[in-house]
Amino acid sequence: MRRRLLSILCCPTCKGDLELQVSEETAEEILEGVLRCSGCRIDYPIHEGIPDLLPRGTVPE
Amino acid sequence: MTREEELKKAVRQGYGKIARQQEPCSCCGPSPCCGGTDLAGEVSRKIGYGDEEMASVPDGANLGLGCGNPVALASLRPGETVLDLGSGAGFDCFLAAKRVGKDGRVIGVDMTPEMVARARENAEKGGYSNVEFRLGEIEHLPVERDSVDVIISNCVINLVPDKRKAFAEAFRVLRPRGRLMVSDIVLVGELPERVQQSVGAYVGCLAGAVDKAAYLGAIRDAGFTEITVHEETEFPLDCMVNDGTVSAALGDLQISGRDLQAIGTVVRSLKVSAEKKG
Repeated sequence: MRRRLLSILCCPTCKGDLELQVSEETAEEILEGVLRCSGCRIDYPIHEGIPDLLPRGTVPE
Repeated sequence: MTREEELKKAVRQGYGKIARQQEPCSCCGPSPCCGGTDLAGEVSRKIGYGDEEMASVPDGANLGLGCGNPVALASLRPGETVLDLGSGAGFDCFLAAKRVGKDGRVIGVDMTPEMVARARENAEKGGYSNVEFRLGEIEHLPVERDSVDVIISNCVINLVPDKRKAFAEAFRVLRPRGRLMVSDIVLVGELPERVQQSVGAYVGCLAGAVDKAAYLGAIRDAGFTEITVHEETEFPLDCMVNDGTVSAALGDLQISGRDLQAIGTVVRSLKVSAEKKG
């Protein structure tokens, strides 16, 4: 994923902001890392450039 | 497992399989050369995509699974932010990316890992720098409120068990005066009971389809205004029968030709637009 698109992402569960932790990136994009929700502290992994933002745990109705 | 979870799992497995099966091969361009016919191209042409559009995206991006969204694509303007709900291998995202240009951006959300991986490969192949894909669910969008100009979705919301929630999420992430432009399968009558209960027919975009009035009502109840039906057509039965997932499901159910004809008369392909009032 590219940093430019981070601004409009949020946690699928609580809609909180996501903090990016990068473990591998190229000049263009982030390949491996974690998106951590500042609200509910859930970690969403970035693997092979793809952020996995499927909801986890209990989702409030 | 609840019925809802069971359906989601089946959809993810079904489309994961499709993503894996149709591995892109260098010889399968728009012309039929692999011993078979270009089925995806044929289906897409029938639902209104031009040859030029189909030729403009990377091979393997068009799986021929949609029910058509050329109207939505035509309305996109340079610089807009577009969200595609259920982006699959990325076909509509790539067409949208051309429309919004380098100052715009397109985000595809899909809950099937194999599809997202495939879409990402296609984006790399096509050199798209303004398109991104992420794993996510339509009922729980990982997108900030008021951040998107246009939501497009092509024959996917029928696969979402909770359609009201899907439209509520769409409303949340759109900016004021943002547009929703969906094409989908709806019903104008009852499907045979056996088809309604079939998980296979759900995956094949039939059993998850709801009544047209209920569908439009869910859009309205989410807060949308200016709800406009642009097109309503009988879903081409030959496309349905040629669709691997549908025909496998219908095959399992051992449905007669006459039943099939009956299904054809209650299934409609609908193109709807709506606006989030500014």
